Amino acid sequence: MTEILGYFLMSWLDPMMLLLTAAGTFAGIYIGAIPGLSVTMAVSILVSFTFKWDVNHALALISGIYLGGVYGGSRSAILLNIPGAPSAIATGLDGFPLAKRGEAGQAIGLTTVVSVYGGFIGILALAVAAPAVSELALKFGPREYLLLAMWGLLLVGSLSGESLSKGIFSGALGALIACVGLDPMTGEQRLTFGSLQLSAGISYIAAMIGFFGVAEVIAQVHELKLKAVKQNVSKIIPSWSLVRKHLGLATRTSTIGVVVGALPGAGGDIAALMAYDHAKRTVKNPSRPFGEGAYEGLVAPESANNAAVGGAYVPMLTLGIPGDAVTAVIIGALYIHGLKPGPMLMIETPHLFWFIVGSLCLANIFLLVFGLTGIKIFAKIVETPKPVLLPLILVLSAVGAYAINNNPVDVYWMLGFGLLGYLLKMYGFQVGPVILGMILGPMMDRSYRQAMMSTGNDVGLFVTEFFTTPLSAIILAAVVFTVVSQTQWWKKLLRRS
Amino acid sequence: MHTSHPRLPGELTFMVLAVALSAFMLWAAYGISQFESISSPGVFPMLCAALLLITGLMSLVKTAKARLQLEGETFFQQFVRKLAPLQLVLFTALIVAYALTLEILGFLLGSYLFLLLSMQVLGSKRIGLNLLVSAVVLAAIFVVFQTAFSVVLPAGSLVGPYLPEFLK
Repeated sequence: MTEILGYFLMSWLDPMMLLLTAAGTFAGIYIGAIPGLSVTMAVSILVSFTFKWDVNHALALISGIYLGGVYGGSRSAILLNIPGAPSAIATGLDGFPLAKRGEAGQAIGLTTVVSVYGGFIGILALAVAAPAVSELALKFGPREYLLLAMWGLLLVGSLSGESLSKGIFSGALGALIACVGLDPMTGEQRLTFGSLQLSAGISYIAAMIGFFGVAEVIAQVHELKLKAVKQNVSKIIPSWSLVRKHLGLATRTSTIGVVVGALPGAGGDIAALMAYDHAKRTVKNPSRPFGEGAYEGLVAPESANNAAVGGAYVPMLTLGIPGDAVTAVIIGALYIHGLKPGPMLMIETPHLFWFIVGSLCLANIFLLVFGLTGIKIFAKIVETPKPVLLPLILVLSAVGAYAINNNPVDVYWMLGFGLLGYLLKMYGFQVGPVILGMILGPMMDRSYRQAMMSTGNDVGLFVTEFFTTPLSAIILAAVVFTVVSQTQWWKKLLRRS
Repeated sequence: MHTSHPRLPGELTFMVLAVALSAFMLWAAYGISQFESISSPGVFPMLCAALLLITGLMSLVKTAKARLQLEGETFFQQFVRKLAPLQLVLFTALIVAYALTLEILGFLLGSYLFLLLSMQVLGSKRIGLNLLVSAVVLAAIFVVFQTAFSVVLPAGSLVGPYLPEFLK
């Protein structure tokens, strides 16, 4: 117990880590708030810079950015009616009407408090659930991992986009990109077309920066003319009665956030929308009608999306399966630092787990401090004109890609993926599943082959064992449900009932 | 969940290319170890490429069925407005040029030129401010990344030899 407390407090007692967590949270709030800058983009670029750092320092910074960024999106949703991040889409529905009524300060204050509250519930769930899930995950074999990875890809493909086929296309594209290079099991060349460059594989960090950085920057050129609306944000600290009134709802929606965040592939954006929907259905007497400035419409999505952060860490740390695009990038960072997320991580490096929990708690406290202060400077920074901002992000992306190997080839990959990402986005494909496919592809490949070899390459036995092993059967049922729930047949059935 | 939006200009061509590339990748994946064994290194890439081809074809059919709504414009006019406005094309061209010349011009000069030109292209017309912001931000990036992140940025084959040591 004392050991655990020691690991937990590591980032609290080390001045450097304290500073990095604070800097990460501060930067995260602003990155999340500026429309066009996403947390995934920031973390992707940062991961390449922190290669040479101590892993704890890198994780302290990334934890802060992640938590700060998820919250930061709400600021621009309230002030400008432009969600700074996908997880803040629901926030603008009531946040902006509140701002128009001159209550932007109160809206931001309440949002900050419930975000921190949701964040703590998420972290608590992580601390309690992760060791248990990890125990369970020790019983998982290659078959279960294959199914979990498939489920993650299907979930992200189906929930985040307009079309399931396009979602699966993106995921398969990512998995195929990850196959390029030498086969990790046999050393055989795969899809290298005789090129020495391709034998080393394609850097997923370069791909991430391309898809989330360059593609987003190019796409933002379409929205250069959006102007910020100045709001009155003088009184920001909310009254205790206002906070207390909404704690019940925040607890319920934080639970939704934790559960949705913990589902492989579903992140804060989906959690926030589900929580908003829950609030609309269950709150009988909102402060104002939903959509016209109801405080409940702010509390629900904002507590849920921050709670989803803790939730998303559960499958990432215990199974090595990302909960969303940001955790996919963080998994990449862990691999780079020589760590292997999965059930053994908790057993071999328990200090790392408790260190992450401690850093997240610390970041959450910083979130409260930064969230309730500095609003005047904030309003100025959010108004940074895009013609200045976009080229700067591009330069940072290029530096990030170059820093991977000090090699311009990674900059070319970044550029190629950036252009591809732009076209994919424009034509209705999601880029999140591509990255998830790149992370989950090698796991699926390895698990599939191990499972198949364990049956002596007997296809019949391979298939049968999915139904005869209880764990596999349960996950398989979830995978099948995910597919069936997307069909027209299921939707018609729901409508009829 | 199905596509109900009208077709975008160029979408059909993009989908045809995606399907053709998927078919090529399936063929390339088949070439890895053919059907040697059900757990050979080529099986997973083949499965991915097959999935790519199937879902690509499904999206292609949906795209082909959707109608192009030109709203009184020509195909080219709508393509330019929705996908490739002049500003975006010029900015993208600058990004490509920046990436390709990074090693030759070096990080400092290449980035400075890129920042200035792109700010101009994207509509930030206050040249003095652009010059100043670019210089300050670039100096900050250079110092932070060289020191805190130990990133060695390219000095450039063209200007590198003439730069003082602290700028390399």
